[in-house]
Amino acid sequence: MVKYLLFPILLLSFFISSAEARVYLDINAPTFVRIPIALPKWKSADKTPPALTAKVYETLSNNLTLSGFFRVVPHQDFPLHLQQREGIPNPLSLEEWMPLGGEALLAGETFLGSDGTHIKLKFHLFDLIEKKHLVGKEYEGPIETLRNMVHRMVNEVIFQFTREKGVHNTKIAFVVRQGESKEIYSADFDGESVKQITQNQSINLSPAWSPDNKKIAFTSYLKRNPDLYMIDLDGKNLHRFLFFPGLNASPSWSPDGKQIVLMMGLEGKSDIYLVDANGGNPKKLTKGHGNEASPRWSPNGKWIAFVSDRSGSPQIYIMAQDGSNVRRLTFEGNYNTEPSWSPKGDRITFCGRVGGRFNIFTIGTDGFGLQKLTTNSGNNESPCWSPDGRYIAFSSTRTGGSKIYITNSNGLNQRPLTSSKGGESNPAWSKRFE
Amino acid sequence: MIKKGCPMVGKGFNILVLIFCFGLLMMGCPKKAVIKEEPSAEKSEEFAAERQRTARLEAERAERALREKELKEREEAAKREFEKSLVTKKTPGIEGEVIESSLLRDIHFDFDQYDIRPGDKEILKATATLLKKYPSIKIQIEGHCDERGTLEYNLALGERRANSVKNYLLSLGIPDDRISTISYGKERPVDPGHYEEAWAKNRRAHFIILSK
Repeated sequence: MVKYLLFPILLLSFFISSAEARVYLDINAPTFVRIPIALPKWKSADKTPPALTAKVYETLSNNLTLSGFFRVVPHQDFPLHLQQREGIPNPLSLEEWMPLGGEALLAGETFLGSDGTHIKLKFHLFDLIEKKHLVGKEYEGPIETLRNMVHRMVNEVIFQFTREKGVHNTKIAFVVRQGESKEIYSADFDGESVKQITQNQSINLSPAWSPDNKKIAFTSYLKRNPDLYMIDLDGKNLHRFLFFPGLNASPSWSPDGKQIVLMMGLEGKSDIYLVDANGGNPKKLTKGHGNEASPRWSPNGKWIAFVSDRSGSPQIYIMAQDGSNVRRLTFEGNYNTEPSWSPKGDRITFCGRVGGRFNIFTIGTDGFGLQKLTTNSGNNESPCWSPDGRYIAFSSTRTGGSKIYITNSNGLNQRPLTSSKGGESNPAWSKRFE
Repeated sequence: MIKKGCPMVGKGFNILVLIFCFGLLMMGCPKKAVIKEEPSAEKSEEFAAERQRTARLEAERAERALREKELKEREEAAKREFEKSLVTKKTPGIEGEVIESSLLRDIHFDFDQYDIRPGDKEILKATATLLKKYPSIKIQIEGHCDERGTLEYNLALGERRANSVKNYLLSLGIPDDRISTISYGKERPVDPGHYEEAWAKNRRAHFIILSK
């Protein structure tokens, strides 16, 4: 497990310390303008290799852009004397940075520890409009955790502007087709650190993060039946824990991690079942003759959204976690599947078919406020919400092969997660790795 | 399989014995008649008729024997054809070696549907006949979908397709313990194309033999 220290730095006396809770950006607004942010060159303190500092700078710039909140002012747009400036500027001379058009300025330094294995990052964030210091922090840890430190820094910057932390220290698990098989991978929020988790040449589907981020439950055909397995993030401790004849698929964890809802085919068709997290005590929740699919636990643990074709076409339904109080949520269109709850529990994103194409939608859990997030961009499937509710990950065939995309939850700022050629599907978002 | 053939051979043999005895009787009788009585026109007519009948019976017997031989040959040919149709198959990442037979033909489904098409019932009847002929075989029905649907709902649809085929075979008298089902959803298309012809091929129930 990665360990590193976090040292919030004391605000120096000459900084204006009135960083009161001002919300600059409302991500839920239908549109918003990205905050232009100036990033002066970082300084390499002492014998710190410039390549290391360059990596910090690049990861930082990339993650600020990916967040969808910021537009990084191009370095070449700086006046020459500022292009050469490195490190944290004197807070009393912030005026000279203002003509760049930036509304915020983030500057920092890197320090390589004397043992050569640890690194310290120090940054300060300024509001250029109000000419005030917003926050300054230091992060210290082994060099291999450098990207993680930058992710936490970006989370902090986002917090300063929105009063809610970002999700730059989260991961997205997804499925990658490799010939006839499908393996489960994970990547950081910025698409870096892509890692293969399963390596068994089988068909592995529907990854679901345990609420503590330590394990992934998924379906695999290893034993010639779609059974449920558990695996650690490093690919170790593969363990089959639910293997009734027929389907054991589409797991979703209860928020407390004690139970799992899933699809099972014990009666010759798919129904929604509740089991203990070790696979014990299966209990059928759905009744009737429909095909039931994709159960997803609500963030407060009280409700389960799922798909049923009991009305004649697949639609999203919500029921209480004991199977009572079933109500239909979607009425538009005749193919609405793959629900995922927003972390606040007020909206559900799903995949709906319109004119033969699959697109991503969100809808209020009261059935109002239907929004379409994708248009004219191939087939878009398997949406899932980020733990802060600001983003939705999904798969899209807009450039040919199926790839994981990330969009702001209002549909803006859609970008591919990784630089792969395709074959990706079925994303699942972790909680924050604190 | 051989057991099923035995009663046929036994029955045929019984008939042969009967015909043979009858023939002996027929051949014996006229001799006695010659010694004891003067041949009359009536008697010789009767004799001729009996000879004719014997000849006819013998011809019938020969024909029947021929037919039986042909049937046996056909059965053996069918058995050879079935044995020849068997191909063992191993899929990486999926446990076990299974057997496929081109005589266990796929059936296909309409988009988003799992009921068996009227035309495909004939295919399943042939499958049932084959399964009855080889009562030790255990099969697995795979339910498959085309790519135009979401992953998990397609798993449910594939489960339903496999089970509707299973139920039809049960209704034709195949015991429950000889049939298992598995849904692959849209995960294992036979045709990777993104057009109607490929989709139609992929919406299928496929049969594999788990044990002979």
